[in-house]
Amino acid sequence: MNNRIRELRGERGWSQGDLADKLDVSRQTINAIETGKYDPSLPLAFRIARLLRLPIESIFQPEKD
Amino acid sequence: MKPISKTQYELRVLAASAVYVVLVIALLPQARHAASPATHLACALVPVLPMLYIVWLIARRVWSSDELEQRTHLIGLGAAAAIAGSFSLITGFLAAGKALSPEVPGVLLIWIFPLMMGSYGLAQKWAQRRYGASFCDDSEGLPKAIGFGLLALMFAGMALWAYWHVADEFSTGLFAGLSLGFALAAAMFAWRRRNRNRHEGE
Repeated sequence: MNNRIRELRGERGWSQGDLADKLDVSRQTINAIETGKYDPSLPLAFRIARLLRLPIESIFQPEKD
Repeated sequence: MKPISKTQYELRVLAASAVYVVLVIALLPQARHAASPATHLACALVPVLPMLYIVWLIARRVWSSDELEQRTHLIGLGAAAAIAGSFSLITGFLAAGKALSPEVPGVLLIWIFPLMMGSYGLAQKWAQRRYGASFCDDSEGLPKAIGFGLLALMFAGMALWAYWHVADEFSTGLFAGLSLGFALAAAMFAWRRRNRNRHEGE
């Protein structure tokens, strides 16, 4: 799954640590999501969308076949 | 269960491990020569207490982890269970077939828990690395140089204690070797940290 978290985080001037604190996860988890090494669970994806005030499908997109 | 920070967790595990090592060295030989059954039992079982405390700390840490950390804990614990289970199965068959001297299986049983903890830690680090974490990342928890430095000090103390009180060359050599190994690891992490800070400053 592809995501725009790094870009959206950058627009808001947040560090990985800031975003991790806001979502109550570790900085390594944010790094793993941003680099595409880990796909978050649905509850975490919804928390990210709520925090960024964007629809979930504008943050996460399935990979093209 | 109240969440525990990584630094608190690491400091408490280090302290409990130090207490465990001291109790094993101090009480286990006493247990063999204890006069009363109660003293015998107490000397043999008291070293287990710090290990049970570590088990409780691990449970607290896993409970308060986020979803990715829980996944890496699961991978670590799965690998640890497989390795320690295989080790005890092999030892059990060797003992049942009387391929080991009668004293060996009891001593090997003591090593199952440290083996399990060691393989848990290594497998978890491997899993974290697969998800993009660096083993040298000092952003969370106790700085590696300090953690390994404390371990080196702990084993240096154990080596001195073994040298003066136990007069057992094997124990003294083992603890001195472990101390040196951890001291080298601490020096390496301190050097890497210094280099990184210098590069970030430029």
